[in-house]
Amino acid sequence: MKISPIESSVAIRRTLFMGATFFLIATGMALLLRSYSDEQMFWADYIVIGLFPFLFGPITVGFILGLFGFFDWLRGGDPLHVMRRPWREKEESVPLAATAIVIPVFNEETARVGRGIANMWHSLERTGQIEHFDFYLCSDSNQTDHWIAEESVWLSLCRELNAFGKIFYRKRRHAINGKSGNVADFCRRWGKRYRYMIVLDADSIIAGPTMVRLVRAMEANPEVGILQTQPAMVLGRSLFRRLQQFSGGVYGKIFSQGCSMAQMASGSYWGHNAIIRIAPFIEYCDLPILPVPNPRKRHVLSHDTVEAALMQRAGYEVWVAYDESGTYEEGPPNLRDMLKRDQRWCAGNLQHFWFLFARGIAMGNRLQIWIGLMAYLCSPIWLVFLIAGSIASYDRTRFLAFSAGPEDLGAPKSIETGILFLLTAAMLFAPRLLSVVWALSRAREFGGTFRLLTSALLETFFSILIAPILMLFHTLFVIQAIAGWQIRWTTQNRADTGLSFSQCFLLFGWQSCLGMAGQVLAWMYLENNSWWLTPIFAGWIMAPLIAWATSWQGSGKTLRDWGLFIIPEETQSPPELEGLNHDENGSETLVNHLWPQALLCPYLQALHLFLIRQRFPSAQDQPAPSLAQLRERLIQEGPAGLNSKEQLRLLWDAETVFWLHQELWSRPQKHLHPDWIKWQTKAGKMKCYPSCKDSL
Amino acid sequence: MELHLASMNPSAPPFLSEELSAWNEAHDRVLHFLKTFALSDSAQVSRLTLQILDLARKRHRENPSVSPVTLVMEETRRITVDWFASNLALPEEPRSRLFASGYIALFLSHMPQKAPDAFLISRLPEDLRLEMKASLLVTGPDLQISSMTPRHLDYGPMHDFARETWHRWSSREILIALLFWTGIYFVFYWWLSDLL
Repeated sequence: MKISPIESSVAIRRTLFMGATFFLIATGMALLLRSYSDEQMFWADYIVIGLFPFLFGPITVGFILGLFGFFDWLRGGDPLHVMRRPWREKEESVPLAATAIVIPVFNEETARVGRGIANMWHSLERTGQIEHFDFYLCSDSNQTDHWIAEESVWLSLCRELNAFGKIFYRKRRHAINGKSGNVADFCRRWGKRYRYMIVLDADSIIAGPTMVRLVRAMEANPEVGILQTQPAMVLGRSLFRRLQQFSGGVYGKIFSQGCSMAQMASGSYWGHNAIIRIAPFIEYCDLPILPVPNPRKRHVLSHDTVEAALMQRAGYEVWVAYDESGTYEEGPPNLRDMLKRDQRWCAGNLQHFWFLFARGIAMGNRLQIWIGLMAYLCSPIWLVFLIAGSIASYDRTRFLAFSAGPEDLGAPKSIETGILFLLTAAMLFAPRLLSVVWALSRAREFGGTFRLLTSALLETFFSILIAPILMLFHTLFVIQAIAGWQIRWTTQNRADTGLSFSQCFLLFGWQSCLGMAGQVLAWMYLENNSWWLTPIFAGWIMAPLIAWATSWQGSGKTLRDWGLFIIPEETQSPPELEGLNHDENGSETLVNHLWPQALLCPYLQALHLFLIRQRFPSAQDQPAPSLAQLRERLIQEGPAGLNSKEQLRLLWDAETVFWLHQELWSRPQKHLHPDWIKWQTKAGKMKCYPSCKDSL
Repeated sequence: MELHLASMNPSAPPFLSEELSAWNEAHDRVLHFLKTFALSDSAQVSRLTLQILDLARKRHRENPSVSPVTLVMEETRRITVDWFASNLALPEEPRSRLFASGYIALFLSHMPQKAPDAFLISRLPEDLRLEMKASLLVTGPDLQISSMTPRHLDYGPMHDFARETWHRWSSREILIALLFWTGIYFVFYWWLSDLL
């Protein structure tokens, strides 16, 4: 049997990767065991020893991937990578195929989504290849204001860009299976019309030339099923976002390059900013139900990793195009929003456990699933490790106090402990260091050498402080996911408008109390051995302050003015990102309380009737009694009198929308709730006709 | 400035205060409704408002029991239907479709901004009429339905193990598991104690 160059390379690379990982874990384990050789063992020590490889393993994996990535960069890239194959030499001659750009949305900042689509449209127009691409805005929004705003933005986009028949809007009545269900719904309805789909998130942007290149890559390599790009995090204004985008910009490249070198054709899919071959996706990648007894928990929450595994299982390759520019996303604006996202991801990643042992899943995918699992499981393991280590340390101090003279209490630990500590620190920081070396080669794009190094140092400091905060939350998320508990969150703040200190204290205050109590107990019982816990307690104690201070634009702007945390997309802003900053455009205020205008404004009402794709109602249509009652309630109690479910029910019924439009304008004031008179005045004054013109 | 009926039409017979208030309300209603079309000529909105009010007043004399607000909106709808029919030749039934198509044609052709003087009154210039008729709302491409169903996936030994546990959950299994892990722990303890 003939072995392809990719197969032989992947075998060598995996052997190297796994071998180095196990060798380093074994070395760490041996050092740990040797460090106990002169010590009295306590029960907590066995927990420390038992958990050590689970914590040391991910550190080792990160280190090896960093080394791989750095090596790959030094040698100028992987010649076997799909984006470096011979087709690139005659790239322009590769024909394009019909491609859908699918943007699933769920109560998103609609004007921002519209501006993003317009920018991508213009970018594709500049390539001269726009005829091959159609846009689909697929909505699962369950807030009526967002729904009407989406319809309005769609019509404006089509009108302003002359894009009727090229940009489509679809609203699902029942948002079954979340985002993956939304994409699957697109595939079932229109998938046959296209060879590829580029899946985006609501905040994703891909430049036209990049989209064209992705399609050509797929056309030239029919064995590729998914090609994932590495989006750069951009448009950060709060300090938290700026830290994240700087970290992604500097460290992300080397790490992704390392992952790609180790994984090759069994790469990752992150659910957005990727191109997918539709036919095999439809045939093989519908998500299976999970084998759990509770029917409500059988849906796969985090679909992307599973879809990549299923695509590979069907015999197609999945690659990460880590070197492609012109692909962007936005990060969460503050620590609280990141935790909210992590909670979702944690539940999803833990579900992937079921696929770890499923038959037919490729080894590369199993590794990814394992790494994804450990990303969250490491937190409770780390916490137990710290507690057990502290108890063991206390036992040892007490034992020595009873069994030896005072001179023994300050005795240095074995040399192995020092080596292990240094090895761990080196493996933790080496990938960062290598990434900084890479970034120095293009230091000007990061604001210059001095500023780049200062930013990297500050970012590392923040990471050290934030890591223990995440550890406690991730532990909670793991427990919650396993036990099925719900953690309540206060109202989400989408834009970079900052968090109030009271909000931060409410969410993170318990960590401060825990940190202070832990530090006092450590001083009391661990004495000189308490110092190594100090960075952890410091992170906990300062958690509300960190969350508050990093959520504000002011701190982010000041540091930006100083030239810190600069990313290449800021030194040379791509046209695709123009006008996308959330606060530059005030049109978003229109989204609030927009839905009554779908009943009053003739244009919005007509547009809504067309888009819900129902038979146009006739005068003979009679509503169900409950619906008739609901209509009257809306007229008598005003828009605020109905909850969002009731609002949705009314808006989904074409006959009701038409009837209400007539009644709300025809009934005398005394038969209407006073709010409707205000809305009528507003309808005349606010020029409620669909428009996001300012944004295009 | 808002134009009220009493001040604009002094030759009309005087209103009772209640009636005046009802007609003022009708005036405001039709004015607000016409403003939603975003005509570029506000004088045209005022002219149309007064014209519709006059039509409604005529009907009100024949049928005084109907509220002026209801009458002005009925008149507005009637002249809108007539205007759409004469300019766009749209099918008149169902009414909802006529209105929706007409409104969308107005919006897409920018007619309220280009020729506000003709709005609801006169026949449109031929080029604008053709532009409005050509305005087409493409809401979505034709469906091409595909079947996308999950393929069978064998979850392997963990699933078998879990299924057995869920279906045969009993104290016996718990006891065996406890004994098993206790054994493992003691082996581990003995091995490490011996090693160190």
